[in-house]
Amino acid sequence: MTPSVPEIIRGCTIALATPAPPESAGDFAAGRVGLVSMLLGLSAQEANRCVAATIAENADIRALFAACGDAAVAEAAREIDTDLTIAGLDAANAALRRQLIALHERVEAAGNHDLDRQITALYVRMARGRRLELGRG
Amino acid sequence: MSASLAERLAAYLSRVWAEPVSVEQLARIPGGASRETYRFVAVTPAGPRSLILRRDPPGSLIETDRGIEYAAIASFHGRGVAAPAPVILEEAGAELERPFFIMSRIEGGHASSPFQPDPYGAHAAAMGEDFFGTLGRIAAADPADLPIGQAAETPALDQCWRRELEYWAGVIDTDEQHPQPIVRAAIRRLRANPPPPAQKISVVHGDYRSGNFLHDDTGKMLAVLDWEMAHLGDPLEDLGWAMDPLWRHFEVERVAGMVGKAEAIGIWERASGLKVDPAAFAWWELFASVKGQAIWISSAKEYKDGGYADPILGFSGWYTARRQDEIIAEQLERLVAA
Repeated sequence: MTPSVPEIIRGCTIALATPAPPESAGDFAAGRVGLVSMLLGLSAQEANRCVAATIAENADIRALFAACGDAAVAEAAREIDTDLTIAGLDAANAALRRQLIALHERVEAAGNHDLDRQITALYVRMARGRRLELGRG
Repeated sequence: MSASLAERLAAYLSRVWAEPVSVEQLARIPGGASRETYRFVAVTPAGPRSLILRRDPPGSLIETDRGIEYAAIASFHGRGVAAPAPVILEEAGAELERPFFIMSRIEGGHASSPFQPDPYGAHAAAMGEDFFGTLGRIAAADPADLPIGQAAETPALDQCWRRELEYWAGVIDTDEQHPQPIVRAAIRRLRANPPPPAQKISVVHGDYRSGNFLHDDTGKMLAVLDWEMAHLGDPLEDLGWAMDPLWRHFEVERVAGMVGKAEAIGIWERASGLKVDPAAFAWWELFASVKGQAIWISSAKEYKDGGYADPILGFSGWYTARRQDEIIAEQLERLVAA
């Protein structure tokens, strides 16, 4: 997913290390530091669970592929995650999401309401699985 | 050593106003993510003037037309909507190198963060009356009588939805970095189930929401801010955006953290003289979430392209994008089950 935790942390470092012009001192600078603080708090959450969350999302998509009976996603349904770095899992997730978009388009075109509901329920799980909570470091 | 921003601003104002002007207390203020926003005092022979400078940044959340923003402010200042007075529009940038405009500063009051729980406290109902009533008055205005009516394109009644949807779908096509199945499903649903034609063409603020106005902590709006996405279109567009769950301060029952949905619609209908068709409004509610996600996707791209330097772009492209995804997924689940 973008931005990733490494990108966010890099961004926070850059934001703190970049000197601000005189007119950006005061409220603006305080607001910026507050935002960096919030981003670092969210990064702590994300660092702790992003690998597990992406593995779970990938498995959930593959399970739907395996059960849906669509030949175009049968091969993806059998894959497993082997690169467990954040970047590697994100790349696998991107490939799965592209196939999920195409599958959903076919399902809608065919008027398959049952599978439409299953895919929409999957979307809810995907979104909730990536939820970030403000104020929780 | 190059001149400071204050010195360049003073040089510009002295030239344009043909009198000596000095600039004091120049300070950038948070918010207004699409333009750099500064407060300052212009000291002229006639006395000090408290002003706001809105300057195009090198990169921003969204590409917007400052001329239309300026025309929108000019359209509502002194017309029953709390809008500042327009002062100068400088499209060429001149001494400030990037285009900008200047408007009057409205003193007092503050904007509440959209992510602050219960920001209006005991005055939430009064705030809702003013907030949705003001939006109704904006919707009621005839653009033909206003400066923005000359500056912005007027869509056909039956094309408002298509123009907005295709614009924001195009932003997603251009800026998406990681595949986004949830918002793409919402876009397909909106295309397949268009709303009825708009009941009139109105001025659409484009970002009318909790957090985008100054209030006095007693339920009174002092200024509607950030007109940068103003355009002409279906008046239900702003109402859908104002009620998006993203701007509800984590509440379920009260929209914008102020009043219940039915009450908000009633206030808006009384102020605008218009009606909210439930089917049409359902379309604009889902559209609001799609538009939001397009902005957050664009933020994530801008964050990366800008070398991760601006934390507001990182926050919008990450935390806000994920909340918006959850909101859209839940909307889709309800619609598919219906």
